[in-house]
Amino acid sequence: MSFEPLGENRFIVPIGPQHPALKEPGHFEFVVDGEIVTGASVRLGYVHRGIEKGAEDRTWIQNLYLMERICGICSHIHATAFVQGVEKLAGVEAPPRARAIREVFAELERIHSHMLWLGVAAHEGGFDALFMYSWRDREVVMDMLEMLSGNRVHYSANLIGGVKYDLNPEMMDKIRDGLNYLEERLAHYLDVVNHDETFIGRTRGIGTMTREQAQLLGAVGPTARASNFAFDVRVDAPYAAYAEFPVEMVVAQEGDLHARFVVRILETMESIRVLRRIFDNLPESELVTRVPRRIPAGETISRVEAPRGELFYFIASSGGEKPERVKVRTPSLCNWGTVITLAVGHKLADMPMILAGIDPCFSCNDRLVMVKRNHQDPQVWTWADLRNYGIEYYR
Amino acid sequence: MNLAIHPLIVLLFFPGGLFLLASGLVFQWADRKLVARFQNRVGPRFFQPLADVLKLLAKEEIIPQGAHRGLFIALPIIALAAALTAALYVPMFGVQPFFSFQGDLIVTIYLLSALTISLGLAGANSVDRFSLVGATRTLTQLFSYEAPFLLAMIGPALAAQTWQISKINAFVGETTWFIVAQPIGFLVALVGLMGKLELPPFDAPEAETEIVAGALTEYSGRGFALFRLSKDIELVIGLTLVAAFYLGGIANPLEFLLKTGGLLLVMALLQTAFARLRIDQTVGMWWRVGALLGLVQILAILAGIYIRQWWL
Repeated sequence: MSFEPLGENRFIVPIGPQHPALKEPGHFEFVVDGEIVTGASVRLGYVHRGIEKGAEDRTWIQNLYLMERICGICSHIHATAFVQGVEKLAGVEAPPRARAIREVFAELERIHSHMLWLGVAAHEGGFDALFMYSWRDREVVMDMLEMLSGNRVHYSANLIGGVKYDLNPEMMDKIRDGLNYLEERLAHYLDVVNHDETFIGRTRGIGTMTREQAQLLGAVGPTARASNFAFDVRVDAPYAAYAEFPVEMVVAQEGDLHARFVVRILETMESIRVLRRIFDNLPESELVTRVPRRIPAGETISRVEAPRGELFYFIASSGGEKPERVKVRTPSLCNWGTVITLAVGHKLADMPMILAGIDPCFSCNDRLVMVKRNHQDPQVWTWADLRNYGIEYYR
Repeated sequence: MNLAIHPLIVLLFFPGGLFLLASGLVFQWADRKLVARFQNRVGPRFFQPLADVLKLLAKEEIIPQGAHRGLFIALPIIALAAALTAALYVPMFGVQPFFSFQGDLIVTIYLLSALTISLGLAGANSVDRFSLVGATRTLTQLFSYEAPFLLAMIGPALAAQTWQISKINAFVGETTWFIVAQPIGFLVALVGLMGKLELPPFDAPEAETEIVAGALTEYSGRGFALFRLSKDIELVIGLTLVAAFYLGGIANPLEFLLKTGGLLLVMALLQTAFARLRIDQTVGMWWRVGALLGLVQILAILAGIYIRQWWL
C-alpha cells in the first residue's frame, strides 16, 4: 500500500469531468487541507461543439436554429440575441406584438430556469425535498411553454423579423391561472429559504462576494445583483418590449449564497408580475415584418439578459446569405472567476453549492483555445497537426 | 414472547439470519418509499432493495490498486457479522433475545460501532481521495454522535437498574412509556440513530454531490452489497432498541411492527425536512446540544432515583 504525495504534497479533490455533483462535464480541482479548500482551478472544454465556426457555414435562417441549441435551458434568449442583432444589421424592427411575445417567452424561460436552478442548488446542499418540489412546480411553466409553442425546451418562437406563435385569450387565461399557482409556491419557497434553520446554516455567510469583487471579476446577472451590483440589461438597455413593459431590478446587499437564492426567487416573482402586465395590454399588430435574404454588410453587437446574466453577441455580415462571424459570450463564462476566487477558505462541503450558486452552464461556454506549444505557426494548423495535438494531449 | 427453537435455526433462519436480512430489506424499502412519498416522488417498488442486492452480488468485485486485498474483502464481512451478532441481544420482532446476559446493552452498542468503524477503515483502505475524505467524515461523525447516543441508551438502563436489554425491555413494559418520563433521551436517541445510519441530514460522510459515495466509493459488487445489508440491519436493530427502551417495550410481533413502523415514519419525516449538515455543523450540534442534553437527562434520572430511595 502506498500513498504517493500528490503534486507538491497536496491533497487534491477532483470534481469532474464525471461526478454526481455535475450535470455537465467540467473539471475542478480543489486543493484541500482537511476540509478547508486552499486552492481551486477549473478546466473546461469537454463539450466544445464548434458552433461559432458552424455558424459561418449556415444561412441566417439556419443559424437561428443553431443558436437556439447553444443552451437547452435558455434557448429562447440565445435566438433572441441573434435575431435582434440580425434585425439591427438589416435595419428592420419587429412589430410591437412580436416584441411583446418575445418578452413573454423570455420571462417564462426565466421562470423555468430559475426554478430549475433552485432545485439543483438545493440538491447540491443535500436538501432534496426542495429539489423535488421545485421541479414538480416547474412542470407548470413547462406545460405553458408547450402549450404556446408545442415544445418544452427548444420553443423556436423567434423568426428574423418577428415571432412564429401568437397568443390568444384562452392561452393567456390558462397561463394566468398557472402563474397564480406559481406565485403562491414561490412565496412558500422564499419562506423556506429565509426561515429553514439548516438551510440558512448552509447558505448564509457562505461564498460572500463584495460589490468590488463582483465588479473586478466581471460577474453578471443574478450572481452580481446578489452582491449589490445593480446591472440588468432589461433595465439598463431595454430590448424587445422591455421599454413598454419594464421589470424592476432585484438587488440584494449581502452577496452570499443566501442572497443569490433570494434574488433569483424574487426575480421569478417579478417575471410573473410583468407577464400579467403584458397579458393585460398586449399590443395588436402583425407578427412578422419582411426581412431581406441577404443581410447588408456591417457589424453589430446584441445584448440581452439571459436567466444567468448578460448574454453578448457580436455579429458581422459581409452582405451575403451567411454571417461572416458570430461571436457568443455567455454569462457563465463571466462568472467562473468568482467561483475560483470564492472557493478558497471555504469548506469542501460548500463547494457544490458555491459552484451551483452562479447557475453554471458548461456547454455554452466551451471555446477552442489554442496555446502555442512547440509549433511554428499558431494561426494555421493542419488536420494532421490537430490530430497529433489531440493524441499528445490525452496521452 | 418466548419461543423454544433449536439454536441453529435461530442463527440461520429466525429471528437471526435470513429473516433478519429480509426484514432489513423491507425496512430499507419502507424508508425509501416513505421519504419518496414525502418528497412527492413515486419511490421504489417493494422488491427493489432485494433486486439491488441480488444484482450487486452477481457483479464483479473490483479491488482498487494500492488497497490491502485481504482487508478490502474482509471488512464488509466483518460489518455484516457485527450487525447480525448485535441482533441476537435485541428483542427483534417481539421475540425474547436469544442470548442475554448482564451488560449485553454495551456489547450491542459496541457491535454497532464496530460496523461504522469497519466502514471508516474500508474507506481509508481504498486509497481513493473521495473514500479518504468520506472515511474521515464517517469516523468524525462516529465520535460526535456516539457519546450522546450512549447516554440516551443508558438513561432507561439506569431507571431499570440493569444492563440487560431484555430486562430493560420487560421493566419498561410495566411502567409508563419512557418517551413521557425521559423525552430528551428519546429525542437524542432517535436523532443519534439517524447519525449512526448516516441518514439525511447527517449524510455528510456520503454526500454524493461532494465526495460521490464517501467511504464506499471504490466498493462494487459483493462488498458494497454486504455493507448495504449491514446498514439495513443496523436500521432494524436501532429502531427496535429505541422502540424497546422509549416506547414501552416490545412484547409481541404486532407491537414491534407498530412501534418500529411509527418510529420509521418520524425518521422519514426528519430526513425530508432538513438540508444536509456540514460535518463541522454535525459535530458542533452533537457536542454542544446533544451531549449536554443527554447529560442533563442522566442527571435528572439519577436525582429521581436518589429522591425515591430517600423517600422510601
